[in-house]
Amino acid sequence: MKSPTVAALSPERHIGLVVPRHREPRNSSAEDRAAPWLGLGIAEIGAMVGGLIRQGRPLPVVLTALCQLFDATVKGYASTVLLLDRTGARVRNAAASSLPASYLKQLEGRRVSWIETPIGATINAKTPVIVSDPVSDPEGREAAPATAPGLRFHEVSPILSLTGEPLGIFAMYQHESDPAVTRCHSALIPRFAHVAGAVIERMRSDEALKRSAALLERTQQLSSTCCFSWRVETDEISGSKELCQLFEVDRTDVALSLELIGARIHCEDLPSFHEMIERARNGVSDFEFEHRLRLPDNSVKYLRVVAHRTCDQEGQLEYIGAVQDVTHRRHTEEALATLRAELARAARVTSLGVLTAAIAHEVNQPLAGIVTNASTCRRMLAVDPPDVEGARETARRTIRDAERASEVIKRLRALFCKKGATSESLDLNEATREVVALSVNEFERNNVIVRTELAGELPPVRGDRVQLQQVILNLLLNASDAMSGVDDRPRQLVIRTERAEQDRVRLSVRDTGVGFEPQGVDRLFDAFYTTKSSGMGIGLSVSRSIIESHKGRLWATPNDGPGATFSFSIPCAPQDVPARVTGVRSCGVIRTSAEERHVRSL
Amino acid sequence: MMVERPLVSVVDDDESVRESLPDLLRELGYAVRAFSSAEEFLASDCVGETRCLILDIAMPSMSGPDLQRELTLSAREIPIVFITAQADETLRPRSLEQGAVECLFKPFSDTALFEALNAVFRVR
Repeated sequence: MKSPTVAALSPERHIGLVVPRHREPRNSSAEDRAAPWLGLGIAEIGAMVGGLIRQGRPLPVVLTALCQLFDATVKGYASTVLLLDRTGARVRNAAASSLPASYLKQLEGRRVSWIETPIGATINAKTPVIVSDPVSDPEGREAAPATAPGLRFHEVSPILSLTGEPLGIFAMYQHESDPAVTRCHSALIPRFAHVAGAVIERMRSDEALKRSAALLERTQQLSSTCCFSWRVETDEISGSKELCQLFEVDRTDVALSLELIGARIHCEDLPSFHEMIERARNGVSDFEFEHRLRLPDNSVKYLRVVAHRTCDQEGQLEYIGAVQDVTHRRHTEEALATLRAELARAARVTSLGVLTAAIAHEVNQPLAGIVTNASTCRRMLAVDPPDVEGARETARRTIRDAERASEVIKRLRALFCKKGATSESLDLNEATREVVALSVNEFERNNVIVRTELAGELPPVRGDRVQLQQVILNLLLNASDAMSGVDDRPRQLVIRTERAEQDRVRLSVRDTGVGFEPQGVDRLFDAFYTTKSSGMGIGLSVSRSIIESHKGRLWATPNDGPGATFSFSIPCAPQDVPARVTGVRSCGVIRTSAEERHVRSL
Repeated sequence: MMVERPLVSVVDDDESVRESLPDLLRELGYAVRAFSSAEEFLASDCVGETRCLILDIAMPSMSGPDLQRELTLSAREIPIVFITAQADETLRPRSLEQGAVECLFKPFSDTALFEALNAVFRVR
């Protein structure tokens, strides 16, 4: 243990009060005040050791320095600070400047009951014990055994915490050879004990704080999480250094601010970021959102932010929260989603293959009959004389087999048109929300930002929920597909529902995709018309037939800017008159390329 | 009849094939018997007499290949021309590998059938 030098203790170098909570003991007598060294008050003692604390020196060093200060101040005496363990029952370690190390070593680990009086009494009574004549005090002599040669146990003072718990003992010994026995200590010892208590408590709480900070830091590292606080009034953002690392902001360069963070946010996520900030300023209790960062090296990071509203000490609105880097997780999820989509596609292709094979088998059987019969017929007519009767029979069978093939096709159609349309009163908003929820993954994968603007008071409509949802899904996925090649502008999709004229409700899906040529608008709804490399191009034509069966209209308009808007309007449900959806039965599946992923037979 | 016509047996669960194919085969100069299942064929008195088997691959209960195996196991090997309505291109090489003379996909032309039979009877 390295003892501090006198220079390190000099008050000029270490100003400042370490122990503000300690009160000056009031028992200074006139005689005490007359002694020059008694001017050494708590403030002065504290200042002298305070520097060591600020230097981050360990507790034993600081306590040894305290003893050194005492021993240097009060000639003929040697002091020690005995630290007690957490239970207060044992001496954990002892610090002293001029007591023999072997003696201190002996005290360590001893039960406080061993020290009994006067030290034991000190702990129990929590008041200083003055041993005026330690020589006549046999217990005192015992407490200071002969292992401290030439020293007489003289006086102790308890070192107490703010709450009165025993932290340790400040003990003073007198050199036997020194005849100058004075009551020099009456005021000084409690002062040193007070400072020692403050030092111990302060350093222990510093230590606890350090440990908790280290724990927090480690936890943050392990969970890729950073803590932050945001004072809404001043826009002050503070957080751990990892927070700056997360945003890749050099902390020494500039303090973290909303502006700085905003500059890092992925341009597509900026609107939602600003919206979130606005909501926070308006004082929502908690918020939670995910957004992406576009970093200087152009890489993308996914962050998840969770914050809780609170008030700081001045009563100002403050959010405390955590930012977690979920990039890895998102990448895994994306990979998983791609895999799942591929799997679903493979399964569909497989089942489609099975279906195709079944159809081929069913049709090939009668075709085989037709070909064979026709071949036989030709041969029967080619012989001389021609076998007219046989030829007639084979021709009859040819016709029969052709009819059979046609029956197969009819049966197949019936199979696909099994489900008729149903009619129920339904909330178009709710139906829309369900479809949007279903398509979220699709949108995320295509980096499409979806905004729903659903009318507040939308009257119910009457129709086939599944069919209408199929139309909405078709429009959404078409819009998403139309934006798949767009990289120079946000891929934004707006779904809006509203009341329209003549007791109708309208749903529109607006995208910022490739749009369409105005002259091509008529062909958009034709069956088998497609601009996509995959897909059969029957989605919009089936959608239109569904909407028309709901007595509605489906149309497309080019946007002023990039992209297109597809809308349909259908009548509201008539009051008290049960409506029927009539006419068109939808056949088969609406299959656009996007719906390859969402095929659902109607 | 001066020259005995070789017997070709048709085994197919599809009625239009059982009706049309024998007529064509007769036109081509063969004697024909038609059976609606492999079991029916095995139970008949034609097994030993049959010089060529025109055999549908996919049939309920005993399939064409099942019948082929059965015949091989009982050492009554008859040249087989498989016919199938399944549009599976891999069926032909597999069938040939298993010892069939030919595998025809329905609908097949009279020429294809003629060539397959020629192959059978040239071998013999």
